[in-house]
Amino acid sequence: MSETYQPSLSSNKPFPIATKPFAPDDEAALREALKRCSPSTFEAAVQFRKTGNPEHMPAVVIGVIERFVEPDLRSKLKDADDDLRLIEDLGIDSLTMMEIVILVEDVLQLSINNDELRNLRTVGDVKTFIDCKIRGLPLPRPTKFLPIEHIGSVMPVQPPFLFLNEASVSSTGANGKYKITGKEFFLQGHFKDNPIMPASIMLEALGQLAVLFLLEGATTEPGKAIGANTIFFTGCEGVRAHRMCKPGDILTLSIKSKRMKMPLATFEGAIRVGQEKAVIAEDITLTFAYVEAAVEPSAVNGTAQPAADSDANPPLRVAINA
Amino acid sequence: MPKVYITGLGFITSIGNDSAAVAANLRALRHGFELFAPFQKPDIACKVTGPIRGFHTDSTDPEDWTWPEGYSIKRETIRSMAPHGLYAHCAFMQAVRDARLADADISNRETGLFAASGGSPMLTYFHHERMLRLGPARCSPLGIVASIVGTLNFNLVAAFRIQGASCGFSSACASSAHALAYAFEEISVGRQKRMFVVGGEDGNRDAILPFAGMRTLSLQTDPDIASRPFDLGRDGFVGTGGGVVAVLESEAEVERRGVPAYCELVGWGQASDGYNVAISHPDGTGSRMAMENALAATGIAPGEVDYVNAHATSTVIGDVSEARALRSVFTDKGARPAVSSTKALTGHGLSLAGVMEVGFCCLMMRDGFVAGSAHISRLDPACESLNILRATRAGAPKVVLKNSSGFGGANVAILLRRS
Repeated sequence: MSETYQPSLSSNKPFPIATKPFAPDDEAALREALKRCSPSTFEAAVQFRKTGNPEHMPAVVIGVIERFVEPDLRSKLKDADDDLRLIEDLGIDSLTMMEIVILVEDVLQLSINNDELRNLRTVGDVKTFIDCKIRGLPLPRPTKFLPIEHIGSVMPVQPPFLFLNEASVSSTGANGKYKITGKEFFLQGHFKDNPIMPASIMLEALGQLAVLFLLEGATTEPGKAIGANTIFFTGCEGVRAHRMCKPGDILTLSIKSKRMKMPLATFEGAIRVGQEKAVIAEDITLTFAYVEAAVEPSAVNGTAQPAADSDANPPLRVAINA
Repeated sequence: MPKVYITGLGFITSIGNDSAAVAANLRALRHGFELFAPFQKPDIACKVTGPIRGFHTDSTDPEDWTWPEGYSIKRETIRSMAPHGLYAHCAFMQAVRDARLADADISNRETGLFAASGGSPMLTYFHHERMLRLGPARCSPLGIVASIVGTLNFNLVAAFRIQGASCGFSSACASSAHALAYAFEEISVGRQKRMFVVGGEDGNRDAILPFAGMRTLSLQTDPDIASRPFDLGRDGFVGTGGGVVAVLESEAEVERRGVPAYCELVGWGQASDGYNVAISHPDGTGSRMAMENALAATGIAPGEVDYVNAHATSTVIGDVSEARALRSVFTDKGARPAVSSTKALTGHGLSLAGVMEVGFCCLMMRDGFVAGSAHISRLDPACESLNILRATRAGAPKVVLKNSSGFGGANVAILLRRS
């Protein structure tokens, strides 16, 4: 289930902030609109409407989401990280998402179209999206959820040395999962009669997630793509292992992009098993190089390309559009 | 053909919000009418309705609503409902308990739900006006499913995870009688083993007042005599709303579960006047044919019927037309079943009426009484040939006929037999 990138998202119009002063009538309407939200949500909304300062936006957005989440799930939002998923973790269906959007539109005085909505999957997506709207910045690429087939088709690393079962990639980082099956060849010897996932392999898994980010999520120079065969490991710092990981454990991996400037990209990485911290890496640095981007197959006179041409598409492109 | 039984009931009505209260009020002929606050204005001539008590559903925002304790309903369930969706949801929960149904009995491919609703004029107006004023982008995504006529089946099928047949019926005041009748068909041809039949109406200003335009509402200011079917002084119906649910099950299912049944739904008949869009045929032609068809379909002779729960709504033309039909079917054949209209107590529930009144007949059969036709001080001479029951009579009726009629001259007659 790969997401097709929506070109329309990049053409975002700046949102005119504070076109008219915030009147007492507006405050009353705002209070009514937010009557089922926390007082701090209302306060943040008032501050935003008075000043246009985007700093107040996350409190408003989280407050509105909280109001639509069933009470027994609200605690998840209290210390939510940006990876909290709207559907899977918070039970928000697409109709509730519409309710959230209508209220956010009303309160922040902006408008959001349906295409834009479809790609908001996590709390972080929503915050980033609204922030870009308010600042008039181009919208980020949405989080893409990549199944194993897709990962296998784009990664230079292949089984039996690929340590990702699934992954999601946003414009700022990536998350992945890997289940230690016990069948990994190196567990036969690491250790004798006591299979434990080597820390070096866990670091490798984080590195692989960073490679996937460079290939699928990173913003590149126009007309350029990062070459899959140009990415290599250069170094890492601040690595600590906190927990032994054994067959049956599901590793939850995450990396965030810290710096990216040709030819180096640096990430911070972490692995958890359930709620337990397993590995932390403060810096993982990879080197990479650009290649010419593959040319998009384009429609001729509004008609689709003949089948013969689409057969000629490189496998990577086919996979992305699948 | 498998027999079909009624095994569960739930009531949110103007005369009570559970079967015990409803049965007590039917027996004692206590009505549920009052001067309805929104109608106490100079430009509104109609003053009395049969409101639903214990609920607050005036707001167009379902999250403002309140309902009696004991019903746990989530925000995501209620957000797409009309007021009568809430009533019917509560009645549904009662009916499930009453029929002793487990979750697996409710959610399977052989259990369906048929519903009858007039939609929600209040919410239709609210959402439509908002759309025209603010544009569609500011409209609730659930405005449609909360408002339109299918709102009951949409909401309840989703809320209770119904997997069998589901459909809505729209024949105005015959709607829920049609829903019952076709639910009977689903079971008797073996397609389903259990059917929920749901009727509901908002019964608020927006649902009732449009009938003032037709001049069919009673203008009486005294709640004690506003609804008086078959009385010479009747001047129109009194509006009401609510939600009622009946559970129909096949004989095999009743035996398998070992539950008691209120009665057998023996069969039914229908016919149309082919006469006027809103006025019933003066001779009750369609109603007569519907009753004849029901009797023929079930093999029940007119003389076997010992109670008729009339459609009679307390309108000048309608009551007489039904009385003529009854005379033709029964009196002329030498049969004298007791006749009463319980709308004298509840008011006219429109789409809700058929299933609500079949529910009343079930309670009478279980508890052993026949509710009288209340509020008659001077019987209309046109109805004199009928055995119209003026007071409640002890003893359970054995065979009951329930009449329902709707706009367009649609008529349904349903036959029940005590099991």
